[in-house]
Amino acid sequence: MDVVAVDISGRHVEGDRYIMVSASVEAKISPEGIEGIRGMRLVPTVAESVDVEVVIGLFEDSVRGLSGVVLAERGDLYNLERWRVESILGREFKYPESRGERMAVELAHHASFAGRRLVLRLMDGELGFSAGRDAAGGA
Amino acid sequence: MNREKTAVLLFREDPKEGLPPEDMAELRGLAEAAGYTVIAEVSQRRGRDRRFQLGRGKIAQAASYEPEKLIFNDPLSPGQIFNINKEFLLQPMDRFNLILEIFASRASTREAILQVELARLSYEAPFVKTMESLKKLSERPGYHGSGRYDVSMYRDITGRMAKIRAELQGVEETGERRRKRRREMGFDLVALAGYTNAGKSTLFNRLACEAVAARDQPFTTLSPTTRAVAAGDRRFLLTDTVGFIDDLPLFLIKAFRSTLAEIVEADLVLLVVDLSDPPELLRERVASCHEALWDCGCYAPIISVLNKVDRIDPEVALERSDLIRDLAPNPVFISAREGHGIDVLLDMIAEKLPPLEEFVLRLPPSEEGLKQLSRLYEVADPKEVRYGEEIEVLLRGRREIVAKALKGAGTPLMKPGASPPEEGWREADERAMRG
Repeated sequence: MDVVAVDISGRHVEGDRYIMVSASVEAKISPEGIEGIRGMRLVPTVAESVDVEVVIGLFEDSVRGLSGVVLAERGDLYNLERWRVESILGREFKYPESRGERMAVELAHHASFAGRRLVLRLMDGELGFSAGRDAAGGA
Repeated sequence: MNREKTAVLLFREDPKEGLPPEDMAELRGLAEAAGYTVIAEVSQRRGRDRRFQLGRGKIAQAASYEPEKLIFNDPLSPGQIFNINKEFLLQPMDRFNLILEIFASRASTREAILQVELARLSYEAPFVKTMESLKKLSERPGYHGSGRYDVSMYRDITGRMAKIRAELQGVEETGERRRKRRREMGFDLVALAGYTNAGKSTLFNRLACEAVAARDQPFTTLSPTTRAVAAGDRRFLLTDTVGFIDDLPLFLIKAFRSTLAEIVEADLVLLVVDLSDPPELLRERVASCHEALWDCGCYAPIISVLNKVDRIDPEVALERSDLIRDLAPNPVFISAREGHGIDVLLDMIAEKLPPLEEFVLRLPPSEEGLKQLSRLYEVADPKEVRYGEEIEVLLRGRREIVAKALKGAGTPLMKPGASPPEEGWREADERAMRG
């Protein structure tokens, strides 16, 4: 089965805003595990809130152009019913059930977590940039 | 009717999601398995009540039947248990507590008894803490000065939990040593997993020609049982384990860690599915099994054993297997009770077990060499033995096991037709050990 597993890291307030990174992993999976990774995308963003519109918008940016059923953990989408998420996203969606689907989401989680750490280091100027966490605009 | 064992079941129907009839049937089955006579079922469509879980009127209605227990389908908070007990003078329990009661009644081995006790204490510890803080809000009835009683009670529980954990750690280590020894003896490990009452023990009896208890009731098996089974030219050890259930709480998984280790450490898992379950329930139950396997960290390959096909039409069986296609890898249709499909299952097991390799070994024609040859007969399958200036053995087995059997013998493992390595015997041996 072709899937795009999505995970968002950084859904906690940092100062007065949310510095988030969404990771999408395009993979071919079996019920037992991951058969192959086709691609990965990281989308960083800075938002004033983490309400449903913001999260869904980030999901849309993150999965655009990647093919497969979108997978995400229930908590990431506020436990919305599957049909509701599908109608908002406009594409097939499901919460992970099999071991392979869970592995794909876990992989996306590791990617988003690592991506966010990198973004924070970039913003702190550790890697030679000086955007700063307090700077306005996107990360 | 036995006054001691009567119960009323209480269900809360979520206004958004509703209440599937299968959930009601499952709770009824669990209550009956625990020995209760269900005298009534009460349900209410509403959101969760903070004080009583359901509305006060519905609980009063349930209490009017004068049961010994009120069994709730939804989890109860410590506060809700306290309130219901105080207000209606009846003992409430939720689904998890009911499962624990079944476990306690079925636990026969020392390991199972400890696991059930640990699960019960893990479940009850926060309740005790909350009960005590709630009681302390008023005049502290039952406390004998300065709140010393409640401190010692909570400490007693946590102390007992620590003791059980230490004892179970010993059981776990013994199990680990046993599995290691079995692997060294050349056995592959295969574990049966699946939803409770899916037919794991019946399949175990069929494959191992055994007669462990197998009944049409949940949680018949609590402690693992292992027997040797042959599949073609492969021999493996099959282990029957405890069944899973929907929303298996983490404390239960933790308490039964030493039992679930049989699944985690297996080379292959047979995921037994009751194909006669209604379609909507079937998918949910298989997903629950995947969740439980994930939670206990099992990454072994899976064969989906679609059991009880004798109870449904072949077309229905195909439809249902299609329904769970994305959750059931390597499906095999069987009827453990009737014995249908067992040969196909054994072939699939032999195919999915870690592959065996062929090696050529040259042993010295001495007493030591003959001892090594004897060890090889125990852990592998020698195909051909030639006695000459050296003893040349062509054998089939798992590389790491054969290498371990020859540890320190200075004999390299070589593929048939390969020439001896330029490196020393011992280096070659160590390289083989590393795999």
